[in-house]
Amino acid sequence: MTSPFPNEAPADDTSLSSRPGRPAQLLGDGSWHRLHPLSPFVRAGRQFMSLTIVLIGISALNQRPARGEIVTDLAVLGVVLVAGFISWLVTRWQIAGGVLRVDTGLIRRDSRRIPLSQVQAVDVVQSGLARILGLAELQLRVAGGDSSRSGRLACLRRADAEALRLHLLALAGASMVPVPAGSQSRQLFRVRPRRLFGAVLLTRSGATALVVAVATGLTVQLSGSAKTVAPFLPVALGVVLALWRQFNGEYGTTVVAARDGIGLRSGLIQTTAETIRPGRIQAVRLVEPLIWRAFGWCRLEVDVAGSRERRENPSEGRRQRALIPVGSRAEAESMLAELMPGHPLPVRPAPPRARWKAPLSYHFLAWGGDDRYVVASRGRVCRQTTWVPLQKVQSIRWVEGPLQRRLSLATVHLDAAGKRVSASIQDRDSAEALEILGDLPDLARAARSQGAQQAAGGAA
Amino acid sequence: MTDPSEVRWLRPSPLLLRVRRIEVTCATVPLAIAGALVGRLASAATGIGIAVAVVLAGVLAERFLARRVAAWGYAERRDDLMVRRGVLIRRLSVIPYGRMQFIDVTAGPLERSLGLATLRMHTAAAASDARIPGLESAAAAELRDQLAALGETQAAGL
Repeated sequence: MTSPFPNEAPADDTSLSSRPGRPAQLLGDGSWHRLHPLSPFVRAGRQFMSLTIVLIGISALNQRPARGEIVTDLAVLGVVLVAGFISWLVTRWQIAGGVLRVDTGLIRRDSRRIPLSQVQAVDVVQSGLARILGLAELQLRVAGGDSSRSGRLACLRRADAEALRLHLLALAGASMVPVPAGSQSRQLFRVRPRRLFGAVLLTRSGATALVVAVATGLTVQLSGSAKTVAPFLPVALGVVLALWRQFNGEYGTTVVAARDGIGLRSGLIQTTAETIRPGRIQAVRLVEPLIWRAFGWCRLEVDVAGSRERRENPSEGRRQRALIPVGSRAEAESMLAELMPGHPLPVRPAPPRARWKAPLSYHFLAWGGDDRYVVASRGRVCRQTTWVPLQKVQSIRWVEGPLQRRLSLATVHLDAAGKRVSASIQDRDSAEALEILGDLPDLARAARSQGAQQAAGGAA
Repeated sequence: MTDPSEVRWLRPSPLLLRVRRIEVTCATVPLAIAGALVGRLASAATGIGIAVAVVLAGVLAERFLARRVAAWGYAERRDDLMVRRGVLIRRLSVIPYGRMQFIDVTAGPLERSLGLATLRMHTAAAASDARIPGLESAAAAELRDQLAALGETQAAGL
């Protein structure tokens, strides 16, 4: 595991180390490192590409490119290059005393310190451009859901990023020993590309695509001229992009069980590798949309505390956490057994009078639980079953609306860390809801203290 | 086993009702005057009618807010804090002390002039909603320190 970090400039600062061949163990010695010189371009990524396209477009549109305009183009390019260089020059990072510190900014200095003990997961992300250049981005996820507290090292060389990831994970959990990739890991799931393609087409965005296609076809047919397609083009482009993003993000999803947690890799052009550390799962959700049920397909998502910093595409972070983007029930069952051994099933249906309050979702309303997990299912056409470990419950809410009061029903929500991560035991009999509300805090506390004991035992 | 129905509830200060009444008055009176002025363009009777309707709505809102204020309650139990609220939609939250991430005490200008403050607890879950309005400032500060201390002793990892 040699980890050279040769990307530092020959130093205006004496503490900057630049000798190649430094072993990874020395990363924690508090010396300053720089990112890869090409990283501003990768970070700028799309914006840079679109800028280039705009510049080329402008010069192509001008029939006679005057000399002045070429000079303008070159000046813009020069400014971009200098800005990139400066941003590289002022960004430094350091690991010292169990804290990752990233300093950046020329005029407005920004110094970010991430205590490694708080890190929930470390991901390696490669955009298409980064892959061409052999670079990778490290993303550190910290609990709290606030992106200002999460860390990002973009970009390092691929091999360095992998080595640093193992090193950070080792520092993050004292008991965890970094294992070389491949050893003792066992594949749990791999998505089938063809099935993923079909499943993506059968989602809501797929349905939108169909509607757009039909509308376009009808318009052309009725007006008899191809020019009328124009107003549909932006919509069509958006739909295709959405479908592409989902396919690109979930292509080749592979889940392996390794010693340091559950490894998740996915992506066609932009690839992501992340590790979910054991005991960091806040909730597991099984989603069964209407059309997928006909094929016996389902989707398994996990919620992990912490947010990924991804301004370019915030929706992707949420989607990436699907352990099974599409799979059979059997695959989902075996994965669930791996994540939550001995998980309960939603076996207690809602009372029949709940039909008056929730006519469309009544047939899915059920819950179940034991002393470690609570599971609740709900949903109208798309069935969602959520498992929450009692150890992870942050708060319990009991809600009774006016209609529910008339029918003497109530709903109990169990909130786990994150935005909108909760299992909702919907529309129970009032007495049962109160009983749940009375019992669960005690059960959750027992589960918490047991978890704390186990953690202490594991560390000792 | 603990039964939530057998809990001794503590209530926000009665001054909270006065805050709400002042707020309602501040909204109703200008609205009634404006409505009367606009209505007078049609006829004097319309103007008076609009003003009376707005004032009646204000009185109704006051009755409703009085019930809402009366519905607020909180209880400190051994391991968790319970907060209940709501008239139409009734809610009851249970937040274990060990799960509290931070506690806010805020006071708007009106609340401050009556010596009140609002206490809000945050957990790692965005959905947990535990807000106690209308605490007397000293009581709010005391409760905050007490909760912080309890949170410290019972803190649990994520």
